[in-house]
Amino acid sequence: MENRLRLLRAERNWSQQDLAERLDVSRQSVNAIETGKYDPSLPLAFRIAELFDLAIEEVFESPSRRSSKAI
Amino acid sequence: MFAVRKSDLTPAQRAHTRRILWLLLAYAIILPPLVWIRANTAVAALMAIAASLPVLGIFASWGRHVSDERDEYHQTMALRRIAVATNATMGAAVVWGFLQGFGAMPLVEAYWIPCIWVLMQGMFACIGAFSRRGAE
Repeated sequence: MENRLRLLRAERNWSQQDLAERLDVSRQSVNAIETGKYDPSLPLAFRIAELFDLAIEEVFESPSRRSSKAI
Repeated sequence: MFAVRKSDLTPAQRAHTRRILWLLLAYAIILPPLVWIRANTAVAALMAIAASLPVLGIFASWGRHVSDERDEYHQTMALRRIAVATNATMGAAVVWGFLQGFGAMPLVEAYWIPCIWVLMQGMFACIGAFSRRGAE
């Protein structure tokens, strides 16, 4: 799932470790989510969106909307 | 040489690694004397069970690790590794069993099956750590 996590983190000058500590997850989790290797659970996705004071869809791109755009 | 930084491990991973190392040490200490006295005693079955206890502990530790892990990404990865190792080991055991049954392969002791499973876990952990290093 595509997301804007790296961009949002960079805007705040946070390292992956900084973000991981704020979310109470491992740095590897942040890396895996940023690179699209792992899709977070709904509770973690909400925590991420709330941390940046955004709605979930402003952080994560819906895979179904993405595929319909491609068509 | 490859080394895992302490900060890279979650608390559940650290506890699991500590448990595994203690169990492997117990296994290494328990097994040699049991093998040595095996032929001269009537309690061979009890000794055989004693030798298997550390390996049973390793499986229990994996279960506890998955249950204790609070980091959902690491929990998912651990479950995935267990599934792949279990499928690969069971597949290899079935193929070997038929080859053995048809006389194409020699007899292999059943305890090698969990040994292969445990070795696969170690191999996956190394591959995972190396691929994470490569991605960063």
